[in-house]
Amino acid sequence: MSAGVGIWRCNSCGAAYFPERLLCARCHSDDFVPDRVTEGVVEEITVVRHVLGHTDWGPRRLANVRTVNGPRITVGLRDESGPGTVIELFEEGRAPFGAAKK
Amino acid sequence: MFNNAAIIGVGQSQYVRRPEPWQTTHTFIRDAVIAALRDAEIDASDIQGMAVTSFSLAPDTAVDLAWRLGLSLHWLLQDTNGGSSAMNMLGHALRGVETDAASPILVVAGDATGLGGYAKIAANYNIATREHLTPLGHGGPNGVYSLVTTRQMNKYGITKSDYGHMAIAQRAWAAKNPFAVYRAPLTMEEYLAAPMVADPLTRYDCVPVVAGAQAIIIAYPDRCPRDRAPVRVRAIRNSFNYDNQEGDGLETGISTFADDLWQAAGTRPEDIDVASIYDDYPAVVLAQLNDLGMIPDHDLAAFARREIGERRRPINTWGGMMSAGQPGGPAGGLNGISEAVLQLQHRAGERQVKNARRAVVTGYGMTLYRYGGTAAAAVLDRIE
Repeated sequence: MSAGVGIWRCNSCGAAYFPERLLCARCHSDDFVPDRVTEGVVEEITVVRHVLGHTDWGPRRLANVRTVNGPRITVGLRDESGPGTVIELFEEGRAPFGAAKK
Repeated sequence: MFNNAAIIGVGQSQYVRRPEPWQTTHTFIRDAVIAALRDAEIDASDIQGMAVTSFSLAPDTAVDLAWRLGLSLHWLLQDTNGGSSAMNMLGHALRGVETDAASPILVVAGDATGLGGYAKIAANYNIATREHLTPLGHGGPNGVYSLVTTRQMNKYGITKSDYGHMAIAQRAWAAKNPFAVYRAPLTMEEYLAAPMVADPLTRYDCVPVVAGAQAIIIAYPDRCPRDRAPVRVRAIRNSFNYDNQEGDGLETGISTFADDLWQAAGTRPEDIDVASIYDDYPAVVLAQLNDLGMIPDHDLAAFARREIGERRRPINTWGGMMSAGQPGGPAGGLNGISEAVLQLQHRAGERQVKNARRAVVTGYGMTLYRYGGTAAAAVLDRIE
């Protein structure tokens, strides 16, 4: 687990992206610099309760999150945070997760 | 306007929730092809072109399918645009016929992924999904569109029962479709009591994955059997990656071309008699109708209650994918086209919309990350 979520920022116009792009959608530069977003606000949540093809599925909480100075991303929630909650972001592998800021 | 190309026949295979071991994507496609050829009254040896889409054809490709169907062709296409694949293939096939590249052209779509196979496809849908969504346990498109649905409910004041009107109305249409996998009437009580799949989506908000295939035949209009009117496409438009996933998903790519579509078709939303709106989720149906300009004052909730709930608007008259079934993914888009053709040819049987003359058909799909990245729409009419 690592703190924050890695994003990609266009070095030409400053636009922020997640997931990674090949060219900036605004200025079409290929010059990106890695950046990290550490906080976001939960906008919507869901609980995925059943999945086709899985018989032993446990409920998973997901959220759409507006990151601070970054793009909107989908994260796995590790607590009961709801809409409006400010959460800390972290990564497991290349996947973004979050939990309420302490 | 396509004046020298028309849809002249349609056909479909059986739709089943659980295919038998001997039933494969290829056999369902074969059955749909046979049905479409028979319907169009043409021989397989007459086919000059073919377009196909499927999530489960691999490792075969379009030319393998042509080989196994015994078709020697001059025009071949394999489409990868998910829920708008059928519309994309339709446009290419119309242009293929119109420019004399090939005629007739067979357009076919089918899948028999099985539930386990579908789960694997959903988990590996694209690189973004595999790396950034699947590890969260997003559960495929249900996880994505549950968030889109909540956004739509919040923005437009839509309640759960508003979506229920759509599921119930489409189930009533499905009762009149012998190919539909779910035909029993659905009540609002049953809809609201259904098990939660991904909040706020319940069982009847999620398309049932089936195995099956559909096919249509595009040709010069004079190849149409004498007992029916050829169906013309007055205009067709597509959109791919319309907003780089920077919006909220409540507008679809249709919003980028709707005005142009209606103008090119020389008609207006209020002139439409029957609509086939790609229905992977109720929220996506309302979003597309709104983009098409078919929802007065953008009041999605009122439209769901009155126009759909009170059956004022014939929408998804074969039952939609939500009741008739969605073969895998990309194959679903042909359902709406085929139904519009049957309605415009006045061959829809018990579900025939009286005097149907003009139809609108849409496609939507390819969830890139937060919502779909492809969309298409066409206006169809009957050549009198």
